[in-house]
Amino acid sequence: MSEQTTASEITADEIWEVQPGERRSVGVIHIVITALLIGIGFVVGAFGSISFPLGFGVNFFWTGIAVQQIGAVWFGGWGVLAGTIFPFFSNAIAGTPFYVSAAYIPANLVQAFLPAWVFRRFKLDPRLKSGRDYGILFLAMIVSSAFGALWSPLVVLKGFGLLTTDSLPLFIWGWFGGNVVAGLVFNFVLLKALSAVVIRTPAFVKRWWS
Amino acid sequence: MNKTLLGYVPTQSPIYAIHPFVKLFFLLIVSLFPMFVTAPEWNMLLMLVLILLMWISRVDMRTLKIYVPVAISMGSIIIISYILMSGTHPEYQLIARFAGIKVYWERVRDAIVVYFRILPMIFTMVFFLSTSRERDVIVAMRTIRLPFVVTYVFAMALRSAGMVLEDFQIVRQAEQARGFDSTGKSLAYKIRKYVNYMIPLFALSLRRSEEFTNALVARGYAFTGEASRVKRADYVLTHYSFKYFDAIFTAIISISFIALLFMRYGYDYFAIDQSILLNWLKNILM
Repeated sequence: MSEQTTASEITADEIWEVQPGERRSVGVIHIVITALLIGIGFVVGAFGSISFPLGFGVNFFWTGIAVQQIGAVWFGGWGVLAGTIFPFFSNAIAGTPFYVSAAYIPANLVQAFLPAWVFRRFKLDPRLKSGRDYGILFLAMIVSSAFGALWSPLVVLKGFGLLTTDSLPLFIWGWFGGNVVAGLVFNFVLLKALSAVVIRTPAFVKRWWS
Repeated sequence: MNKTLLGYVPTQSPIYAIHPFVKLFFLLIVSLFPMFVTAPEWNMLLMLVLILLMWISRVDMRTLKIYVPVAISMGSIIIISYILMSGTHPEYQLIARFAGIKVYWERVRDAIVVYFRILPMIFTMVFFLSTSRERDVIVAMRTIRLPFVVTYVFAMALRSAGMVLEDFQIVRQAEQARGFDSTGKSLAYKIRKYVNYMIPLFALSLRRSEEFTNALVARGYAFTGEASRVKRADYVLTHYSFKYFDAIFTAIISISFIALLFMRYGYDYFAIDQSILLNWLKNILM
């Protein structure tokens, strides 16, 4: 029998802790994975932005959230970086002005960072083995999307003078609902389907950068 | 024909005589113009200039069709936001009332101002995307001395976006070949089935990341450590030179922006009160 531990035998704690003798360092693969995540996010995010637009880069169903949050859970800081950068491109293709997209950066950063942080902080299993994994991920999705939904219409769109106070709720709920619903549809399925494979690849990030 | 980020432009297009940095500089600076201009006629003029530049650059205007729904959707949202959801404001001038909705002149004016502010920003972005190739963006980034790793990630991201689109088509055709047809199905059904595309897309990208890494390592690429500090020969940049007219264009863009700021804040030009269009519209509506 093989001495190698199979993915199903690895516990959630072991997934996130560097094991004795295990060497982890930043490598070319992390740069590559960042670029690929930006590429996937570009396409998937633009699909959401063009298909379900509410206006100014806000969508009723933003498919890019899956790449943003799942990428960050699996690939840590690299996923957060990609999740922060790719909306810039997908929004650009979908017709959002350059500086409006740039001002969305803090919202996208938090949306990518929070799920990645809760998985590492609470040692959650990315294969979603327990109700706790589902529950905390769901909470992280809600909180991070709530931040994005408040930041973008209140700070960015209001700041640029694109919205009136009366129409803010439409955009706040649009951003929040568009992200949470898309997250519910994609995040759980993707984590469940692919995490067992991803955690065994050299690209998987246990800490933040390696 | 050259493939740009948004379509195709003939190889003989005059836009290729201009250094890519100038195009990036144009995007960064001209996108700022509408933020300081409230009179809509000036923003309309900027849009006309941008359309003229696209025409001179021989951009296939049919590619711009995808932005028609964007422009309509933004216009609708602005109308809903500013006019239909404007609330009750006794301090504003009421011009109409229907179905319990009060239409105020100030809200109509602001809706027009905002719409014609956002459109030139979009046009500037579209002009950049429809005239720039992947390589142009890389050259522009290298010209401003961004670190190699940044430009490399950017270049790879642009390439991988193309590959993801190709993968998406392959997965879709594979499903269709097996009899999958979403025609006439509900939106909820289509969204649910979209998950079927996402899983193979992610899986293919993960597999590709290992192939890419092996190829890069085999070619001696390194982004960290001693090997990354070796000075690299930049072959792409040798194909581009910053000519005197590039310097002139850069100077024109910079001077235009400074002049705009000076006129806006020094002499209160481009303000709503000075707008001929808005004053004319006000006379008609009031």
